[in-house]
Amino acid sequence: MGVIKDLKNLIAGLGITGKHLGTHAITVQYPEQRDKIPERSRGIVVLLSDKETGELNCTACQLCMRACPTGAIVVEFERDENKRKVLTNFTLDNTICCFCGLCEESCNFSALKLAQKYEFSTIGKEELVWDMHKLQEVGRDVPYEDKRKKKKAAPKKPTPKPTEKKPEEEKKPQQTKEEVEAQAEKKAKPVDKPVDKMEPKPEPEKEKPATEDNQPGEKPKAGEEPTEQTGGKTEQAGDDSKDDTKKEGSD
Amino acid sequence: MALRTEEFVVNMGPHHPSTHGVCRLVLTLDGERVKKVEPVIGYLHRSIEKICENRTYPQCIPMFDRIEYVTSMSCNQVFAMAAERLAEIEVPERAEYLRVIMLELNRIASHLLFYGVTAMDIGAYTPFLYGLRERELIIDLFEMTCGQRLTYNYIRIGGVSHDIPPEFVPKCREAMRIIGQKMADYEGLLNENPIWLARTKDIGILRAEDAIAWGVSGPVLRASGVKHDLRKDDPYSIYDRFDFEIPVQKNGDTFDRYIQRLDEIRESIKIVNQALNGLEGVEDDKIKAKVSPNFKPPAGEAYARIENSRGELGTYLISDGTKKPLRVKTRGGSYNQLQALPLMCHDVLVADLVAIFATLDVIMPEVDR
Repeated sequence: MGVIKDLKNLIAGLGITGKHLGTHAITVQYPEQRDKIPERSRGIVVLLSDKETGELNCTACQLCMRACPTGAIVVEFERDENKRKVLTNFTLDNTICCFCGLCEESCNFSALKLAQKYEFSTIGKEELVWDMHKLQEVGRDVPYEDKRKKKKAAPKKPTPKPTEKKPEEEKKPQQTKEEVEAQAEKKAKPVDKPVDKMEPKPEPEKEKPATEDNQPGEKPKAGEEPTEQTGGKTEQAGDDSKDDTKKEGSD
Repeated sequence: MALRTEEFVVNMGPHHPSTHGVCRLVLTLDGERVKKVEPVIGYLHRSIEKICENRTYPQCIPMFDRIEYVTSMSCNQVFAMAAERLAEIEVPERAEYLRVIMLELNRIASHLLFYGVTAMDIGAYTPFLYGLRERELIIDLFEMTCGQRLTYNYIRIGGVSHDIPPEFVPKCREAMRIIGQKMADYEGLLNENPIWLARTKDIGILRAEDAIAWGVSGPVLRASGVKHDLRKDDPYSIYDRFDFEIPVQKNGDTFDRYIQRLDEIRESIKIVNQALNGLEGVEDDKIKAKVSPNFKPPAGEAYARIENSRGELGTYLISDGTKKPLRVKTRGGSYNQLQALPLMCHDVLVADLVAIFATLDVIMPEVDR
């Protein structure tokens, strides 16, 4: 009796799996066929370029660098004769990026995005550390919505913002009114370094940049105020050492 | 002439496929009978709590994703809740509904994964494919909403990161309908199967008083007959608005722990459907309370606890008024369940030990953190 019941139950289970006979597979053959990826899908980080000029949208404000929980992003910049920031390098270490999307959210200038791309396997680990040019190249065909609303109007017009900024605004087409506002905002509430592994910041430096057009505390290694004004060489060094400490810490 | 036998100590793991991560069990065997089990933990310790002390509050949420990666949403939620209690932030109603939908969807996804891997540990392969197929429907919903399939970083301090896309609601209803239908298949495959019953019935019984004494929570506790669920007993978020039952089993054996999860899927489907209806009635579009990027809660301490698919998940935060938490402590259900494992393994076969371990549904990162 028990055996018959057991057999019946076994056959009931087989019946359920048997329903799939003749139906199509729900999986896809990956390299040839691909599933459609949702629009919001967070893949690799790319740098976005201006749709018209083809230049990078990044203004080297370093907000993404500060937002990154793992320290995967390193933004390096120099200051030109007008103390305006010029992006010199943007390094993304894909080996420690956790694809959380906080950098994209922190960016006010549509400078970077977590694109829908996900294929970036390489032979060597070193090839996964991408610099500005590689990131820009990968991000060329990524569609995006430009968050810089006043872009058209701003470049030539001197804005009624702090007087010392006016000359910079005229020279730099990418630095828009909004950006200035955002910077002013940042000035109001200083942002700390998010990652512990970064250099310990000297306390007085936090207050210092409030007098400049620069956000507070963004260059902990930049040293004293004069060096920051004269050139970006020290900043460069600071970034390198930061990079090292970060990698060390991420292990 | 009787053969002389003696007990034999064997290491199971740390890289045993049935330990779901890296857990080492030191077994004392008498032939094929397990005399003693001693879980050795710490192989997956990543010091997430300490890492969080060096991150700002918003940066802690991606770290919390990785504490319990099968239900990341609940980890997001518990951290956000603790931080909101610290800073006394009011969460918009729409965000609360979205949170409940995501938490319950994640609970269903987690239980479906449990259904699949438990059956596979015990030796049935088909349920694994079934469980993962329907789980995919839910993972697709998450990907559509927040862009990620496993580590969501969706529930933020003060709300959620994205509103749902317009196609979410119909797809979610459809997924709930499909999973509701497939429940009959899941049960049909295993519930009456004689091999399954022989492997699970009266194996690894955890008595209710032992479960309480060892701090076991969640489905394992309820399978032992204790009706305890934080969603009812200490309602957080907006769980008091929904009509659902807390399923309870009697025996606390492996079979009950399995059937308990299937019952919970049904209740979660109910909650999701009610929450989707409720979401339509919310007029306010706001999904996030105003929280500064430099979130600085006042000095103090807060504890938040929620019921996730592995029991009580709690987070204790101490703030010293700076951007970074002074102390982060997480309490995961898996830890207590793993500690209760020796209680259930009196004179069982090694194969049954695997079955018992599987139905505890332990996630090792939650144990070690």
